[in-house]
Amino acid sequence: MSSTFGGLNTARTALWASQRGLDVTGQNIANVNTDGYSRQRVELRAMGGTAVPAIHSVSSPVGNGVDADQVIRIRDVFLERRGQVESAKAAELTVGDEALAQVEAAFREPGETGIQNMLAKVWTGFSAVANATDPQDPAARRQVLERLDILANGMQTTRATLDQQWLQTRDNLEALAAEVNSTASSIADLNTQIRQATRSGLPTNELSDRRDLLVGQLAQRVGATSVAAEDGMVDVIVAGTTLVASGSALGVRVAGADSPDDLGAGDDPRLVTVPGGTSLAVGGTAGGQLSVLTSTVPRYRDSLDQLARDLVTKLNAVQAQGYDSSGAKGDLQPLLDDGSGTVPVDPATVTAGNIRLRVTTPELLAVARTSPGDLGAASADGRNAEAFFDLSLEAGGVDATYRALVVGLGVEASVASRDLEVQTVIATQVDSARQSVSGVNLDEEMTNMLSFQHAYSAAARMVTAIDEALDTLISRTGLVGR
Amino acid sequence: MRITHRAVTQTALLGLNSNLSAVTKLQQQLTSGKLISTPSDSPTGTNKALQIRQDQAAVEQFARNISDGQSWLDATDTALTTVINQVHRVRELTGRAANEGTMSAASREAIAVEVDALRDSLLGVANSTINGRPLFGGVTTGSVAYDRDSGDYVGAPPTAGGADLGITRRVSNADQVRIDITGVEAFGPQGADLFDVVDGIADHVRNDYSALAGDLEALDVALDRLLSATSSIGARSARMESAGQVNLDMQLTLASQLVDVEDIDLARTIMDLNQSEVGYKAALQATAQVIQPTLVDFLR
Repeated sequence: MSSTFGGLNTARTALWASQRGLDVTGQNIANVNTDGYSRQRVELRAMGGTAVPAIHSVSSPVGNGVDADQVIRIRDVFLERRGQVESAKAAELTVGDEALAQVEAAFREPGETGIQNMLAKVWTGFSAVANATDPQDPAARRQVLERLDILANGMQTTRATLDQQWLQTRDNLEALAAEVNSTASSIADLNTQIRQATRSGLPTNELSDRRDLLVGQLAQRVGATSVAAEDGMVDVIVAGTTLVASGSALGVRVAGADSPDDLGAGDDPRLVTVPGGTSLAVGGTAGGQLSVLTSTVPRYRDSLDQLARDLVTKLNAVQAQGYDSSGAKGDLQPLLDDGSGTVPVDPATVTAGNIRLRVTTPELLAVARTSPGDLGAASADGRNAEAFFDLSLEAGGVDATYRALVVGLGVEASVASRDLEVQTVIATQVDSARQSVSGVNLDEEMTNMLSFQHAYSAAARMVTAIDEALDTLISRTGLVGR
Repeated sequence: MRITHRAVTQTALLGLNSNLSAVTKLQQQLTSGKLISTPSDSPTGTNKALQIRQDQAAVEQFARNISDGQSWLDATDTALTTVINQVHRVRELTGRAANEGTMSAASREAIAVEVDALRDSLLGVANSTINGRPLFGGVTTGSVAYDRDSGDYVGAPPTAGGADLGITRRVSNADQVRIDITGVEAFGPQGADLFDVVDGIADHVRNDYSALAGDLEALDVALDRLLSATSSIGARSARMESAGQVNLDMQLTLASQLVDVEDIDLARTIMDLNQSEVGYKAALQATAQVIQPTLVDFLR
């Protein structure tokens, strides 16, 4: 036996549910392009009759209408985790790819401005010196010295470019650490708000969306992953260390060498927690930048240094076995050095950064090979110049080493960009899959809008019908006694 | 599967981006004319390009070496020919002086004076220079091969310390050609060289007939030496010539190899560009059609 006005109440809940449905549809449409928004849905639930019937109860209730209290976020946690992992990997590969492209630009190969061209010019310069061995005419000697100077400067420029790239990357990493810190503390704040709201039974959908967006950013920056915690909060974990635990966040900072010269001394750049100082094996953009700092750039820098050492060792060895215009042996006048001017030159102290042309007087270039002791006078044979040229023909010579360096760089860069291409497709696909669950589909919202609209109209009609029925009962009945 | 408009947009954007980057890449290749602009475009191609460029620089230098060597050899050849002609004249004069024993003192003096003049002229030719360097001085740093007054050889010896001391020019990576001939080799050893012989003849014409027969023999020896020097120069000149031909071929081959490796195939690249442009336009059209309509357009 239901009450007289039970039907009106049922219709009222229906009106209210439809209105709420329309509200949520409106919210979804409003946020169709909002980053990180997950679509929402009103959870409609039919309200039942009494759950515990009395012993003599004879009522056969039809229910009390509809309950539309819960508005839920529709999302797939698994896909979100996947998305975090894949976007972190894509971010890491992007950094690696860009860094290699920069290294490629530093070497300027193949072309007319690269080290290869400078080397070739030096060799042909020596061959030209062999042609013009007239000691009165220093033009050819001066030319080869100029070319050697250009080569030394070219190496210094390339190395300075690499150094600059390294410093820039480290600056970027510092900026990124600051960004990570502010993001992590924002997540912690949002976590706190979400806990308060959850405990007081308030909706947290929008707060959660904003927090998940920030977690996604952290995933890209440092390869963070999230784990659900109590009261709708999440913990953010980076490489096994909890960065955000409910309402509190750890900081990170960049530690270790701040100049590429200090690398390899066990104090390479790394991200550490504040407080604690635990070093983090981060992924994402930071992971990419760290591997640029500790591997990519130093590797090419070292190769270039080795090239400079080879060049200095080989050219000086040839210079040492020849005789200059005055007939003096060349071993006291090394051609190239590390800028310190000490003789003999210690190749171990030479780098591409300090390689310098030491001999600036053309007459001191040891062009001749015949000893003045044998000849009785200074010789004008250009054999030592030929010996310089022969360096370019050596199987494992400087040119071959440099070529191997450039080709290795090319292979690494092309592999990196292919990897990035593949990873971008994967990340986009995972993101699309996530979007397909939690994104807003306008067609769907339109149909929802229609159905809620119709439901509202029907509920309103229901009120009218009951009203008419009651009107009949109240106004038209009980007229007999009048 | 549920499809959302954001997902459609993202996928469309990814496709459009990759299409556009293909177009950009081809356009960049067309405008620069180069297939390889960074090592990563083609690591093996880069390797080849670097090698070819190095070879090209070397071969161009070899070409300069060859023309320099050629001019040296030509100058030497001319000088030797002049010397041989003058030696023939000396021989003729010597023969006349030796045969005509009843010559007057004045005639003998005339011959002797001419021989003296020829000797100075020979010495002058032997001191001819190219680019400031004496042709017959070997690797000397001095400016003459023979002392102008005494006629002594002051150039560098052909060997010293057990090593050959020729001036050479590198004509290819593997090959060096000697381009000079020292005075000792062309005109005879110090003390018994051509100039001493001619000097002796002038003296003998004036004072000692009987020695002239021996002088003629010595002159023949000197002539033979000169002729063999000329033929050796000629042979080296021929070698230089063929090296020049090889060098020219090499330059062409290297240039065409570099073009093969580095430069674009214009027809193919333009076709590729057209193709990818068509693909890009199709993608744009499809995207426009898919993204535009929603149910909103059809609800009244």
